[in-house]
Amino acid sequence: MKRFVKENALGLTFGLLFVVVLAGQAYAGLADYNQQQLTEGLPRISFARYVTSASFGADVAENWQSEYLQFFLFIFLTVWLVQKGSPESKNLDKVGRESDQDQKIGPYADENSPKWARASGVRLFLFANSLGLVMGAIFLLSWIAQFIAGRAAFNEEQLGNLEDPMSPGQYLMAPDFWNRTLQNWQSELLAVASMAILAIYLRQRGSSQSKPVGTAHTATGVEG
Amino acid sequence: MLKLTVPAVLLLGLAGCGSVGGEAASAVAVRLLTAVASDDGATACATLAPQTRAELEESAGQPCDRAILDEDLPAPGTVTGTDVYGQWAQVRLTGDTLFLATFPDGWRVVAAGCTPRGSRPYDCAVQGG
Repeated sequence: MKRFVKENALGLTFGLLFVVVLAGQAYAGLADYNQQQLTEGLPRISFARYVTSASFGADVAENWQSEYLQFFLFIFLTVWLVQKGSPESKNLDKVGRESDQDQKIGPYADENSPKWARASGVRLFLFANSLGLVMGAIFLLSWIAQFIAGRAAFNEEQLGNLEDPMSPGQYLMAPDFWNRTLQNWQSELLAVASMAILAIYLRQRGSSQSKPVGTAHTATGVEG
Repeated sequence: MLKLTVPAVLLLGLAGCGSVGGEAASAVAVRLLTAVASDDGATACATLAPQTRAELEESAGQPCDRAILDEDLPAPGTVTGTDVYGQWAQVRLTGDTLFLATFPDGWRVVAAGCTPRGSRPYDCAVQGG
């Protein structure tokens, strides 16, 4: 057990932090929602009602979709795009999908390679792109969830303002949908760009996301 | 997989479940207009949200059960549509549109006698909040 925790500390810690912070978001969001209810002369709603509300769902999904979009883009674009001196980039001479030998595919698979790395056709294609595909799928599902929940939350506000609700087609073109979407996208893109560039010149001793402290600024694809 | 499952569950719970509670909301809306048409002010006022009732009494300077009968609300027509989103509902009848909100004891009318004004909020004869 102790060994399991030590060997999986990164995933476990972030998973635990995720649950704690999501709960914090739920309580803060409920307080905010009920503040608005009181302002409008309406009764408070329960915690259970809030965490199943469109308002909470839209707030959660809009952040999820942008995070997974960030990873999806980063995973796919780093196949072809490099950044000289960045530990987030692979070596400048390895642009592209690389050779089967480099990727340990098919006859080049070793005894420890996953089974599907030895396969061919669709199975190999799926496994060889599985990380990006899954991240992209989660992004799309989260974005759709944001659209559906965001529309319901927006329409709840519309009715509270004595205005007509919007159809899905209207909401797809609505500023609310694109404002929720783009405000999250821009922050994720900035974070990736700054990480890729700052890691050229800055170091974090012992971190897998940094070059070793003494490594040259020009060294590319070196992680600590 | 957990992260794929949760959005799916969220979708079911949160998405625009437009008709859930719609029948109950439209029944309250019709009850208000029917009571007004029958000169039953007490029953009509029982369908109003507390803030709507208070604002009606304040603006009219008389008790709700009398003031509501002076608001020229239309006779109850046929329900042509209902939308429910979260704590709010819009009930459309031939001749009137009403907005309702949920309270512990059910739907209550927040605004009635409403006419559309294009992209601006509805103009309502009776309105709270």
